[in-house]
Amino acid sequence: MNPLRTRCVVVALLAAACHAGPPRAELPPIPGAAAPSDTSCALSTGAVVARDTVSLAVTERIDPAHAPLPRNDAERLVFAQLYEPLLRLDCQGRTLPGVARSWSQDGDHWTFTLREDARFWDGAPVTTLDVVAAWRSRDSSLARAATTADDHTLSVRRRAEGGGPEIPLQMFADPVLAVTKPAPGGNWPIGTGRFWVTGAEAGTPDVLVARPVARRGLPVIRITSLPPDGARDALDAGGADLLVVDDPATLEYAARLRGYTDVPLEWSRTYVLLVPAGERAGDLRLESLRDAVHGDARPADGSDGARPWFTDVGHCELGGPAGRDGGDAARRRRIVYNQADRSAADLAARLVGLGVLGRGTGAAGLSGTAFESALRAGGDAGYVLELHARVYDPCRAAATELPAWIAAGKVVPLLDVRSHAVLRRALPRLWSDWDGTLRFASPSASP
Amino acid sequence: MTFRARLLVGFGAVVLVPLVIFGLRVRAVMANRLTTAYQQRVAALVAVIRADLDRQSTGIATRLDALRDAAASDNRFRTAVLQAGSGERTYLLDYAGNAMRLAGLAMLQIQDDDGRIVSSGHFRNEYDRLERDLPRLLAAAGGTALLRARTAEAPFLALARLDSLRLGGRRFTLVGGIAVDSSFLARLAPDSELTIAVVIPPDSVSQPEPAAQVLSTLTRPFVVEGDSAHLVAARIVVTHSLASLTALRRGVALSFLVAVLATGAIALLLAAWLSTRISRPLTALAEKTAAVDMDRLDVAFESDRADEIGILTRLLGAMTERLRAGAARLREAERRLAVGDLARQVNHDIKNGLIPIRNVFRHFAQAAAESPERLAEAFRERQPTVESSISYLESLAGNYARLSPQPTGEPCDVNAVVRDTVSRLGHTGQAEVRLELADTIRPARTDPLVVRRILENLIGNALDSLASGAGRVTVSTGPTDGETNGPGVRITVADTGRGMTRDELNRAFDDFYTTKPGGTGLGLSIVRRLVLDASGALRVETQPGAGSRFFVDLPVAAK
Repeated sequence: MNPLRTRCVVVALLAAACHAGPPRAELPPIPGAAAPSDTSCALSTGAVVARDTVSLAVTERIDPAHAPLPRNDAERLVFAQLYEPLLRLDCQGRTLPGVARSWSQDGDHWTFTLREDARFWDGAPVTTLDVVAAWRSRDSSLARAATTADDHTLSVRRRAEGGGPEIPLQMFADPVLAVTKPAPGGNWPIGTGRFWVTGAEAGTPDVLVARPVARRGLPVIRITSLPPDGARDALDAGGADLLVVDDPATLEYAARLRGYTDVPLEWSRTYVLLVPAGERAGDLRLESLRDAVHGDARPADGSDGARPWFTDVGHCELGGPAGRDGGDAARRRRIVYNQADRSAADLAARLVGLGVLGRGTGAAGLSGTAFESALRAGGDAGYVLELHARVYDPCRAAATELPAWIAAGKVVPLLDVRSHAVLRRALPRLWSDWDGTLRFASPSASP
Repeated sequence: MTFRARLLVGFGAVVLVPLVIFGLRVRAVMANRLTTAYQQRVAALVAVIRADLDRQSTGIATRLDALRDAAASDNRFRTAVLQAGSGERTYLLDYAGNAMRLAGLAMLQIQDDDGRIVSSGHFRNEYDRLERDLPRLLAAAGGTALLRARTAEAPFLALARLDSLRLGGRRFTLVGGIAVDSSFLARLAPDSELTIAVVIPPDSVSQPEPAAQVLSTLTRPFVVEGDSAHLVAARIVVTHSLASLTALRRGVALSFLVAVLATGAIALLLAAWLSTRISRPLTALAEKTAAVDMDRLDVAFESDRADEIGILTRLLGAMTERLRAGAARLREAERRLAVGDLARQVNHDIKNGLIPIRNVFRHFAQAAAESPERLAEAFRERQPTVESSISYLESLAGNYARLSPQPTGEPCDVNAVVRDTVSRLGHTGQAEVRLELADTIRPARTDPLVVRRILENLIGNALDSLASGAGRVTVSTGPTDGETNGPGVRITVADTGRGMTRDELNRAFDDFYTTKPGGTGLGLSIVRRLVLDASGALRVETQPGAGSRFFVDLPVAAK
């Protein structure tokens, strides 16, 4: 670690230590809106060729029931095309218009003006009442803080009733606050994005088709769900224009193929060790964890100055059961992980190898539902899981993504990981958001 | 205990005791032979396991040789282990895992000359761990030993072997092995009754089942890792389940129990049948014997059996016959004694009859001497007295005369006497007298007068017994076998009268006993005496209200 980075870390740690108020996400500053000509967050390079169809290949399952809040990279890529919050944050943290075309700080309120041309997929105009209704189903306190002046003007108190933390502007870019309304059939919620899902392709149920709501030069997107080991086959067959993957073997193979470009995305995910109260984590040797996983990873030591939202959730009142606090005797001596997550398995094995939670502690991979149940119960010595970067309020994010007992326990960051986008050259322009999300944009349109 | 009970117990004991001894002996022999067979199987299996472990060890060595050669010729691996920071770190960490899977091993770890794990196949992320003792202990154990291979999830038991290679002047050790898990052990056991377990002191991997019997073991070195790593002897325990033997024993015991119960039941039934068959004639004989007394010597002891019971029956019959003869002689003596009494009675009666006559004649003599003219008057006065006395004496003489008949000893045609006697009966009122005479019977050796007097008394009594004079009297004749007294003639006089009670029957043949008004009580007494005098036999069957049946058996006359 060079001296400059060391000083940054020390300053960041001192700032965190001196921070006496409630936790808040350490977000990049708000530099203002990006200029339409700014292509610093554009991924595609070289000459752009207009195409009618772009094929996406993903190796994770896409579940409409999760929309609009993604649970994995595949959903993150797809949902970003379908749903919009009021704002967006580009790769540099700059605020961009979403459903709102403009925003301002008026005293103790944030005031948003919706786009005149904002429409749901079904053609209905988006009003401020629609925004509040969408929020109410996911964050009732935020909905209570909102006031509608007219159909296009929305005002939100910067602090909740009775005090509490200030609501940062970036929070309105979190996907959980995307503007949606329920679909009559109960399938995909109706969003305001530039694409809408028309359903599975005839004869190929594993292929979703997303069509542009208005052509405006946007292509039709074919989204193919591949088995985990099928990514290279998709590249061989030429059926993938864009592949988001973190498997090094696939990336290495893609690098040998002509016509493809490997673009690393943002460090958008962090693997953490959740330790219940009463457990003590030993020497982690963070620098040695890098070799434990097979993907692109770096120690989550905060060396870049970022302060992840989950860093200090101990002050949050998460409610619910506090988990078992009976000490070693009451807990199973194992580090639990989702068996579908290979990096989590590797990290758990490494932690066992290092004896972080004591000799005699083993690793145990559980199925998704079993892992969720075990995580909520807190009856094990530790849990390894992946957390995504969020711009949401930390306590609100913790309430949905972390077990209640973590308020008394500890979140130990292990590794930051990121995915790579394997792009076919001359692909229509793609933009990267602050959390690594990719968006399609027409060549002539702003991001 | 009755004879029958003793017979049952004895029979049961004789049948069941040998059966029980046989069953127990069969069980013991069976258990011994099966146990011996099990021991032989286990000994053979131990030899097979020993050879298999040696073969597995050789196989591991062969695969480690191949891996060593492959690693030595792999420049990427060489770069990774010899040049830190070469960018081949991931390749190195994954190397052992890939090699292990390709070689078909369950564990493989590569350690450098400091004992640091540089690549582990079974626990990839245990890299950089120091484990200096393992190569040393494996070498001390001869290159092959059992050990607990760590994984992220849980350790497993492995049969491991040591190999090494030199790269760039540094020595690297390869520890590879196969898992000694339940499936490995199960493959060694040819069937489910054989169990193979690895017992490592002080803990045991798996304890033998309670129903199993430890039969044989073999040992292999085991590496105990930790702060004080050392070698101990692990035992590979081969046990043979005795469950099948127990089940076989239980089955034999059950079958044997069923056999014992069935045999016992059959034996008891057979014993009961036999004891009944044996004891029933004895019981009947005892009942007959109990009925014999001096007044009832007419009980027939007859048997055609050739066994001891038949002999006993005939002996009792002969004894009864002798008793009957003795009783006859006794009664004769009694009769003679009675005759003496009778003589005295006759003397007394005659004197009683003569006293009035003597007094009358004394009166006549006195009258003739003192007043002859009044003799005729006195005669007239005393004539009734004399006549009465004479009548009394005549009556007395008649009665006594009937007590002493005078047999002639001539052959007697019984049927003719029966017809003659019945024809003399004259009018019998409402009574019916029926004759059922045998066509051909031999003459009896008895005076016809005796037969007639017997018949007169029996038929007369029979007619008198008919209530209101109505009923039927049947007189029949026929031959008898005369097993004890020789061939004879039987006369049967049966009536449908009132019969006799037991007490009346016991006294019916006593002198002067009668139940009839005006009877003398001498009829049946005379009959009995006449029959005995004729060397015959008299028997009565009677039942109150159902009539009586008198059987008179007389010997036949000589040809």
